[in-house]
Amino acid sequence: MSVRDLHGPRRWVAFALCCAWFAFTIFPLYWVAITSLKTPPDVVGGPTYLPFVDFEPTLKAWRELLSGIRGEFYSNFWSSAIVAVSSSVFATLLGAMAAYALVRFSFRVKLLSGVLFFAVAMGGFLAGRYWLGLPPATASILAFCAALALSVIANRFPLPGKVMNNDDIVFWFVSQRLFPPIVVAFALFLLYSEMGKMGFKLTDTYLGLTLAYIAFSLPIVVWLMRDFIAALPLEVEEAAMVDNVPQWRIFFGIVLPMTRPGLIATFVITLAFTWNEFLFALFLTNSEWQTLPVLIAGQNSQRGDEWWAISAAALVAIIPMVIVAGLLGRLMRSGLLSGAVK
Amino acid sequence: MTRDDPIKHLFLWPAFLVVLAIAIFPLIFSLANSFMSLRLVPPMPARFVGLDNYTDLLSNPRFWQTVKTTSIIAFTSVALQFVIGFGIALALAKRVKGVEFFRVSFLMPMLVAPVAVALVARQIFNPTMGPLNQMATFFGFPNLPYLTDAHWALGSLIAVEIWQWTPFVILLLLAGLQGLPDDVYEAAELENASGWQQFWGITFPMMLPISAAVIFIRIVESFKIIDTVFVMTGGGPGVATETLTLFAYQEGFKKFNLGYTSALSFLFLAVVLILSLVYLALLKPYLEKYK
Repeated sequence: MSVRDLHGPRRWVAFALCCAWFAFTIFPLYWVAITSLKTPPDVVGGPTYLPFVDFEPTLKAWRELLSGIRGEFYSNFWSSAIVAVSSSVFATLLGAMAAYALVRFSFRVKLLSGVLFFAVAMGGFLAGRYWLGLPPATASILAFCAALALSVIANRFPLPGKVMNNDDIVFWFVSQRLFPPIVVAFALFLLYSEMGKMGFKLTDTYLGLTLAYIAFSLPIVVWLMRDFIAALPLEVEEAAMVDNVPQWRIFFGIVLPMTRPGLIATFVITLAFTWNEFLFALFLTNSEWQTLPVLIAGQNSQRGDEWWAISAAALVAIIPMVIVAGLLGRLMRSGLLSGAVK
Repeated sequence: MTRDDPIKHLFLWPAFLVVLAIAIFPLIFSLANSFMSLRLVPPMPARFVGLDNYTDLLSNPRFWQTVKTTSIIAFTSVALQFVIGFGIALALAKRVKGVEFFRVSFLMPMLVAPVAVALVARQIFNPTMGPLNQMATFFGFPNLPYLTDAHWALGSLIAVEIWQWTPFVILLLLAGLQGLPDDVYEAAELENASGWQQFWGITFPMMLPISAAVIFIRIVESFKIIDTVFVMTGGGPGVATETLTLFAYQEGFKKFNLGYTSALSFLFLAVVLILSLVYLALLKPYLEKYK
C-alpha cells in the first residue's frame, strides 16, 4: 500500500465528495433521459422524477423522432456521422505523418520567409482586389499561391534572422488553438461563398466542412501524436533502414502499427471534438450537410416547450459520445493517456 | 536522432498545407478585410477605411460589455473548475472506493455536445416546469428566475461551464498526480508531516507547471464560448450574457457587416493574446522557483 493512500475518516470524506460530484454529473443526463420518455402532460404539469412511480414512461417521442414525423433528422445524423468520422480519420492520419516527420527528421524554417508569406499574402490580396480589380476569390487564390511559392523559394536562401526548428513548428501548429475560431469561421464562410461564385461550391458541402474540421483538429493531433511517436523505440526502424526498406513503408508498415493505441486515443479525442462542433457547422452549412448540433440548437426556438421531443433529439447527439467516454475510460485505465498530457 | 531524407517533406506538407490554407490564410484575409468598410446587406462597394472599424469598436460600449461578460464567465468558471477538479483528482489519485467507476463516469460531461447540454440546462433551470425551483420550494428557498435575470443567467452559464469542463481538469490533473514520485511522500511521512503540510509543501508546488498549463488551456477555451450561450440565453436578457463570439456572430451573420466583424474578431484575438502574455508573465517567477 502506498503512503499516499488515505486512511480513516478522510477516506470517507473523499468518497462523499466523489459521490456528490457524481450526483451532480449524472443528474442532467438522467433528467434528459427520463424527459424523453414522458408524455406532454407529464412535462407541463411540473417536474416528475421517477419512471413508473410518478409518471408512466412512453416511447412516443422516440417513435415520432425515428419515424421522421417531426421534420428531417436522419439526414443531419448521417451528415454529422460522415463528416465527424472522416475528418477525424484524415486529421489523425495527416497529423501522425506530420508528427512523425517532426520527430524523426529535422526541419529549418527561416522566420523571415514566414514574414514574407504573411506580407505577400496580405499585400497581394489587397493589390489584386483594389488595383487589378480582381474578384475576391481569384485575388485570394493568386495571393496565396504567390506567397507560398515566394516563401518556399526564400527559405532556400541564407536569410538573416532567426531560424526556426522542429519545436517551433510544433508550437506553430499548437498555437492555432489559441485563435478564437470565430475569426477563421467567418473568414472561411466569406472565402467559401466567393469560391461558390466561381462555380466551386464549398459552403454546405461535404468537402468544405470536412476540410475546416481537419484543419482545426490537426494542432491537437500533431501535439498528441508527437509524444506517442517519440516514445517508440528507434531500433526497429533502424533495422528496417539497414535492409533498405523505403521510408513510406517504414511509416505505414512499422510506425503506424506500433503506435496503434496512440492513434486510437487521438482518433477518439478528435471524434468527440468534430461530433460536437457547433460554430463551423453553423457558418458553413445550412441544409444538406447541416450537422446534428446545429439542428439541436434550433429545436428550442422551433418547438418551445416540447421537451419530450427536444430531449430525444438531444439524446441522439449524446449517446454516441457516452459510448466514446466508456472507450476513453478503458484506454485511460491502460495508462495510455498518462504519457500524452505532459 | 534526426536523419535527412527528402521524403520528410511529403510527410509534413499535407498537414502543413491544410492548416496554412484553411486556418492561416483566412486569418490574413480577415485582417485585410478589417481595414475595409464592407457590407453585404445592403451591398456597398468596399472602401479602405484604415483603423476606423477598430476605433468604432473601441468606443462601442457593447463591445466592452461583451469583453466583461466573457471575462467573468471565463475566470469564474475556470477558477471553480480548478478548485473542484483538483479536489476530485486528489481523491481519485488516493484510490478512493469505486475509483474505476468514478473515473469513467466523471469523464462523460466533457464529451457531451455543448448545445445538448444547454438544452438540458434550459429544462432544469425552467422556472415553473424545471426541477430546480421545485426543489428550492421543497427546501424552503425562494424560486429564482434563472435565465431571465441578468445576474442569475450569468451564474447559470457558469454552472453549466463547470459541469461540462471540470472533467477536463480532473483528467489532466489526475495524470499529473499519478506521475509524482512516491519517495518524497515517504520522506515526508517519516518527518511526520501532516496531510495538509504535504499538500502545500509537496503536491501543490510539484503540480504547479501542469496546473498552470491546465488553467491556461481552459481560460483560452472558455473565451471562445458560444454554443452554450447561444442556446441557453441567446445573449439575453437584453445583452447581459452576450459573449465576444456571440457578438461577432450577430454582427457578421445577422447584419453582414463584414469589415466590422473582422475587426471585432481581431480585437478578440488581441484580448486573448494580451491575457495570455499577462498570465505567463505573472506565473513565470513561480514556475522557475519550483523548477
